[in-house]
Amino acid sequence: MMGEFFRQFKIPLVVGELFAGILLGPTFLGKYFPEISAFFFSKEGNVPIAINGLTSLSVIMLLFVAGMEVDLSIIRKQGSTALKTSVLGLILPFGLGYLIAFYFTPLFGNSNYSDRNVFSLFIGTAMAVSALPIIARTLMDLGIFKTRIGMIIIAAAMFDDIIGWILFSTIIGMINEQSESNTLLTFGLTVLYAIGMLTIGRILINKSLPWAKRNFSWPGGFLSISLGIAFLGAAFTESIGIHAIFGAFIAGIAFGDSVHLQEKTREIVNQFVTSIFAPLFFISIGFKVDFLLNFNLQVVSIVLVLAIICKIAGAGLGALWGGLSNRESLAVGFGMNARGAMEIILALLALQAKLIGEELFVAIVIMAVVTSVMAGPMLSWLLKVKPFNQAV
Amino acid sequence: MRNEGNSFAKIAIAVAFSPRCEAMLAEARLLHQRFGAQMFFIHIGKKSLQEEQYLKHLLHRFELDKGNNQVVWEEGEPVETIIALTQQLDIDLLVAGALEKESLIKFVLGDISRQLSRKVKCSMLLLTEPSTHPKGFSHLVVEGTDHPKTENTIAVAVEIANQYLAGTVSIIQESDPGKLALIRSEELKENEAEERREQILKEEDEKLEEILRCTDCGNLKVITERIEGKPGYVISNYARLKNADLLVVNSPDKQLNLLDRVFPHDIEYALADLPCSLLIVHPKEKAI
Repeated sequence: MMGEFFRQFKIPLVVGELFAGILLGPTFLGKYFPEISAFFFSKEGNVPIAINGLTSLSVIMLLFVAGMEVDLSIIRKQGSTALKTSVLGLILPFGLGYLIAFYFTPLFGNSNYSDRNVFSLFIGTAMAVSALPIIARTLMDLGIFKTRIGMIIIAAAMFDDIIGWILFSTIIGMINEQSESNTLLTFGLTVLYAIGMLTIGRILINKSLPWAKRNFSWPGGFLSISLGIAFLGAAFTESIGIHAIFGAFIAGIAFGDSVHLQEKTREIVNQFVTSIFAPLFFISIGFKVDFLLNFNLQVVSIVLVLAIICKIAGAGLGALWGGLSNRESLAVGFGMNARGAMEIILALLALQAKLIGEELFVAIVIMAVVTSVMAGPMLSWLLKVKPFNQAV
Repeated sequence: MRNEGNSFAKIAIAVAFSPRCEAMLAEARLLHQRFGAQMFFIHIGKKSLQEEQYLKHLLHRFELDKGNNQVVWEEGEPVETIIALTQQLDIDLLVAGALEKESLIKFVLGDISRQLSRKVKCSMLLLTEPSTHPKGFSHLVVEGTDHPKTENTIAVAVEIANQYLAGTVSIIQESDPGKLALIRSEELKENEAEERREQILKEEDEKLEEILRCTDCGNLKVITERIEGKPGYVISNYARLKNADLLVVNSPDKQLNLLDRVFPHDIEYALADLPCSLLIVHPKEKAI
């Protein structure tokens, strides 16, 4: 309901869902009405276990759906401009994020980071990711989704997604495996899984879908198959030491790439996950920390400024290098700057892994919200286009 | 913008001394007759008296040794040499025979015809079943995607259909479910999502209608159809199901390589398993 309320003001649903979580969590209900909060959301017994389980399932499914939105052919077709946008849009935020976090670690809050290198790698990754659904929606709003510039942004964001999750999975692996050889092994396995799933796995899924279409009920059976693939991918990667989310994400790409997957089927899988599990997940974010208590203006400002400048500069320079005009390049930079749900998922997983503290978690969530909300107006201003619903 | 007059004034036939050689030259004669084109017969390999005489004999038999037709005999790497020759001779259409499917090794390396189709800078016709008694094309399936090249591709397809007195031309618009899914954001109400989807499809329909209005289709039976599915795969599948004899598509926007075969898109779906003969229309510089 809160999401729907925010949507009326053209604010992304996810912001409303986060806000609902903040109201119901320790920030408001827990602080001012602790008895009611304890009655509904007990912190003892099976409730926290159930909530954690639900969060894990939600993240796996959200990443599977995010993977389904990645279209490898768009990446291949957009050629060098998209690749340059994506590569610089990754390298610059990642590099600067890493260096600043490594040399100025205290700027990021009062947490006691056990491994500065791993922490800095995470900051680099957090600065580098983009949120494809928010970007796609913004481009649609402005009516530039199908234009050259729209497709470049989409392709670059898709590529960023793949590399971003490879990086993050490796970092999560590094938390458990401290020796260098194991880190390399984790990275190697991550890349190997991605290649295997996107080639052999993708072909197998594509070949088996017509059979499933004939023999399974629709949409129930098909939904089971798609989520089965997601959980199998997640379980497999978890078993070889890579985080489950990566398995689900890559499985989503392989599944979404099938020529036998129809729009209606995609929609059903998407709606099932985004209407039921996404709200639960984003509300649960508000339960994790006290947002007011952990609001540190310095950390929020640094994360926000660093994220915005690095991403706009990186993706913008990449687009410029790819041959776009100054204004178009800046627009690409702002388009790629939206972080949305992906950044929030990344932050939550890092918090769970004790890689970041609560102050930094709050700062990253705020950064994700701000960058998502500002993408539309900035793109509209730079490209001088009116949003879809305002078109004359 | 419109394709005026004859699209194929210079046609090159890639000649290989295979069992299909005779059939390829029979097809060449038909093309020559229909388009009144200057013909070039390109063979890459060492000249041997036996092969030279055999080619001469075939050209004479199919009445292709007259006028300004030429035989070009070169040595070198086949794909690069043929591409260089097509540019040097300003060829409009390159014709080659092709098997329906590639073997696994050929998939990695690419057979000569397919390699040419991925790299050549002129239009290319891949004939899957060349015949010594060619019948031309009776049902053409044409790409109608919203793309700057489509207008020229449709004009060329209509010209071919008119020349060959084809019965039907099916123009297929492909709706990519991946892109449509991105449009259907969870942020939108059901009616808003549907409205946007309809708006996009309507714009595409109007563009196609405008192209067809400006194209002289004569007495041709032109069918337009929208099919949901992966671009390239859908149209290829449609051509197979409808037993079409020629699939006409836009040329790729960039040179294709092994990665495009591993992660196929558009034309690669057709090249992986040719449903029928394939014409890849490459716009002339002045046309786009």
